[in-house]
Amino acid sequence: MHEHETRILKLLKEKRISSLEDIEESLGIDADAAMWALDGLSKSGAVKVSKIKTYGVEIVNEGKDYLKLFPEEELVRSIGRKGQEKLSEIKDNVALLWAKKNNWIELREGYAKLTKVGAAANGAEYAQRKVLEGLADADEDKVGILFEKNKAEVDTLVKRGLLRVKERERISRIEITDAGTKLSGTKPEGGMGELTREMILSKSWVGKDFKKYDVNASSEMLYPARQHMMHEFIDVVRNTWLNMGFSEMEGPIVESAFWVFDALFSPQDHPTRDMQDTFFLSNPKQIDIEDVEMLGRVKKAHEAAWKEKWQESLAKQALLRTHTTSVSARYIKKFANAVESSYPIKLFSVGRVYRNESIDYKHLAELYQTDGIIIGNNLTFANLIDTLKRFYSQLGIEDIKFKPSYFPFVEPGLEAYYYDEKRKCTTELCGAGIIRKEITTAMGTNKTVLAWGIGIERLLMHFFEVDSITDLYRNDLWWLRNRKKIEV
Amino acid sequence: MATIDYSIKDLNDYGISEDKLPKLVESIGMEIEGIKDGEATMNITPNRPDLLDIVGFKRALLSFSGKIVPKDNFYSMDKEPAMEITVEDSVKSVRPYIAAMVVRNADLSGNKLKYLINFTEKLCDTYGRRRKKLAIGLHNLDAIKGPLVYDAVHDGELVPLGESKKMKFEEVIRKHGKGIEYGSIITANNPKALYPFLSDSKNVLSLIPITNSNITRVLGSTRNLLVELTGTSINAVMDALGMIACSFIDSGAEVQPCAIVYKNRTMNTPQLSYREFRIKKFSVDKTIGVIIDDNQMVTLANKMGHTAAKYGNFLLVGVPPYRLDVLNEQDVVEDLAIAYGYDRIQPLPVGGFSIGVPEDYRDYSNSASSLMIGLGFSEAMNTYLTNEKLNFESVAHKYEPASVVSIAYAKTEVTTMLRTSILPQLLQNLGQSMHERMPQKLFEIGSAFGVEKGRIKETHLMGVVSEHSKANFAEMKSVVEAMMRQLGSGKYSIEDLDDPAFIKGRCACIRIDGKTVGHFGEIAPQVLENFKLEEPVVAAEIMIDRMRKV
Repeated sequence: MHEHETRILKLLKEKRISSLEDIEESLGIDADAAMWALDGLSKSGAVKVSKIKTYGVEIVNEGKDYLKLFPEEELVRSIGRKGQEKLSEIKDNVALLWAKKNNWIELREGYAKLTKVGAAANGAEYAQRKVLEGLADADEDKVGILFEKNKAEVDTLVKRGLLRVKERERISRIEITDAGTKLSGTKPEGGMGELTREMILSKSWVGKDFKKYDVNASSEMLYPARQHMMHEFIDVVRNTWLNMGFSEMEGPIVESAFWVFDALFSPQDHPTRDMQDTFFLSNPKQIDIEDVEMLGRVKKAHEAAWKEKWQESLAKQALLRTHTTSVSARYIKKFANAVESSYPIKLFSVGRVYRNESIDYKHLAELYQTDGIIIGNNLTFANLIDTLKRFYSQLGIEDIKFKPSYFPFVEPGLEAYYYDEKRKCTTELCGAGIIRKEITTAMGTNKTVLAWGIGIERLLMHFFEVDSITDLYRNDLWWLRNRKKIEV
Repeated sequence: MATIDYSIKDLNDYGISEDKLPKLVESIGMEIEGIKDGEATMNITPNRPDLLDIVGFKRALLSFSGKIVPKDNFYSMDKEPAMEITVEDSVKSVRPYIAAMVVRNADLSGNKLKYLINFTEKLCDTYGRRRKKLAIGLHNLDAIKGPLVYDAVHDGELVPLGESKKMKFEEVIRKHGKGIEYGSIITANNPKALYPFLSDSKNVLSLIPITNSNITRVLGSTRNLLVELTGTSINAVMDALGMIACSFIDSGAEVQPCAIVYKNRTMNTPQLSYREFRIKKFSVDKTIGVIIDDNQMVTLANKMGHTAAKYGNFLLVGVPPYRLDVLNEQDVVEDLAIAYGYDRIQPLPVGGFSIGVPEDYRDYSNSASSLMIGLGFSEAMNTYLTNEKLNFESVAHKYEPASVVSIAYAKTEVTTMLRTSILPQLLQNLGQSMHERMPQKLFEIGSAFGVEKGRIKETHLMGVVSEHSKANFAEMKSVVEAMMRQLGSGKYSIEDLDDPAFIKGRCACIRIDGKTVGHFGEIAPQVLENFKLEEPVVAAEIMIDRMRKV
């Protein structure tokens, strides 16, 4: 028996019943050591340790704001006031989802109206909020009671990501058994304790035994520092391209509309060039484009195809790029006149792209994309299909299929997809095609360019299941320390 | 992407069975979003507005499956005009172009009227840029008492569609649903405050592009129609009218042109003409990467609705007037590839040997990242988008708008600018980790942005934070010096710095050759309070590309 075990047993023999705090205090040993000793004692049947479950709760994310009013309550109030509300005017998807789930509203012909249940709920007490409120200022004991009573609501709150719950065990009572009473007289077990520098140098260990340890005794939980999940996956993608002989491209995040839209043949009145969808900048407002000849060629191509006047001022607008294809466009120009023997030139990029979105579990305003191009002679659709198949195959996605699709900068265009066995559904993988002649000509090359763009988050979600896309960008220590590994 | 609903039963009546539908739709590059209550919702890509029409949709699917073969010059319009529209000069500054046609013996029974209305509405929404570029009016021809005039005035009135009382133009724009929705098209950039309208000898038929009059309302029983299109682009109105004309011709109605009489010229609309392309057969093989024989090429073109004939080494292709998306030969080749079937194309490796070379910066930042993980710091990755409150206010820094990359219009107030520093977000991350075990150590490598003399400046930064009860200046100095030794040349100096985010007298900057490359120190307690942090925090921020060995 270890010294701590002997002392604990002695104490318990006097008191019969004790607590962890009492042992720590009476014997002056820390909680870890006491736990370790109690573990050993209860395994040998000398003491009986009773534990109770406790819950640590933390209200996270929007939960704190919801304490006042849940968005679905707000929506029901608003509809209640107006009689009905146009669906297109309801911006809060979370509110809509839950109001529908609760059967508070019905949707008809583009309008949301209150149901009978909804009318009754309007202004009444909302179970989810009541529980959240209760938990906000409950102590450990009260939390336990609230949990038992409101299992369903608690589950819902956790699923909505408003509440984080950690189950803990607490020792409530320590009791000596008859076997323990008998044991308590025995002396501490012989043998040496921890090995020390002195023992090694003096060879005092020769011919002696070491005390036996309980190999199952609990030890401290360690959290190694780790790479961020997105970084880990971006390097998987980068290495895949590098292994396939593709070199890396880099280009600006803050771009002119020219490289994001005009150079890629997107008409100037196209809806994606709307403030609603793209982050245009108020500072700086404009970014200059130096190559005047190229501007002339782009203007010519646009006016011939779209039959509208092309305005240089619109091309100069500063914005956050909406895709990394803008980087590809810059490199098509850069390698327009390379040494003939250097073709085919294979390039890829990985970078952040931006959409003017309200952020929720399905949408982010800032995402990652990987783009690729091959510039050369006699490149065909068959080459494009081969390249994409090889890329996905290295990530373990086999049997991908191709169907026609439309993107303004390629012709012909395709979409790759596959059947996801795990989720039992068809999943889109990427868009690709042969860059339009109007674009390559304007960039000053007569080569063929194969091109594709892949959303990184969606690809990652193939390997790593999360409830919400926002989880991919979580930066709290709990997540950084405990997230699973990505299994590619 | 626009969606449109077609009844499965109606498609079936056209000879397209439900079981073959999904494969066929996919083959032509579209998608079925879902099927519910006997209605299939189609996703139509923006290049093919002709498929927003059930007649066009049917035509495409039946051609693709070989059930109909396109005939030469099936769509043509060499008839005498059935009606005249006089265009007044006043419309020039508001909405200069109009095109129109007369349709006789149309069948709008059953769902057909609904399909026609959905088609024209979606067409105006997408191709017509929400009626700005193009708007369509459908009228009951029998209720029109010619002659027609397209004019613009300051003031006028009509009974809007679905209403019973006359309203003034100005009132329609202010009060009527469609007026509120589309009024700005007219009121914006219209200094003379003119309202464009179409009228016959008695009444206003349409307040353009807002609403038609109730007088010419089209019903399921209507047989004869006037279809008018107005817009800002002559090409857009002509092309779209041609597309609608093809739809009526296909459904068996008779289409007659209208004469549009401008002051100095008269023009008949619609003008239905095929665009001819000479495709080098070699160019098809070269694009797809599959060798296709001559006869098969003709069949492939026919499957996509084009007329086609062999001519020496060329394939002569006639593109029908409803295919607005075909701009050049490359577009025709795409159609041939679609008809051939993407899944039949055998993959072929790209030739040539190449070595994949990573970006220098990525390699460098990856080694910095490994070092930090070795020192026990977990990696965070925050967004470059942030807001003034977090980026400046929370760390007691002054917001200087001129030097910040700012978003003109953002949907949420948390994404109004690009970050100038990583530390505020890292402090926020610590704030979100209140209940986690100490010490809490984080780092992040990424970009920050600024504007200098109107130009964008992107900097690669590394931010480091450490929070625990014994966190102090010396700890962060050790970390910074380890980085300088391992990644930099090791030649640097450390000097005092005043930064309101840090405790005065406990903050330093790192300098190489007289240039500042970063700073570090103990975070000031009032800043900790802003993030609800309860333990001391030390932090560093280094411009990693400036500290590298040159």
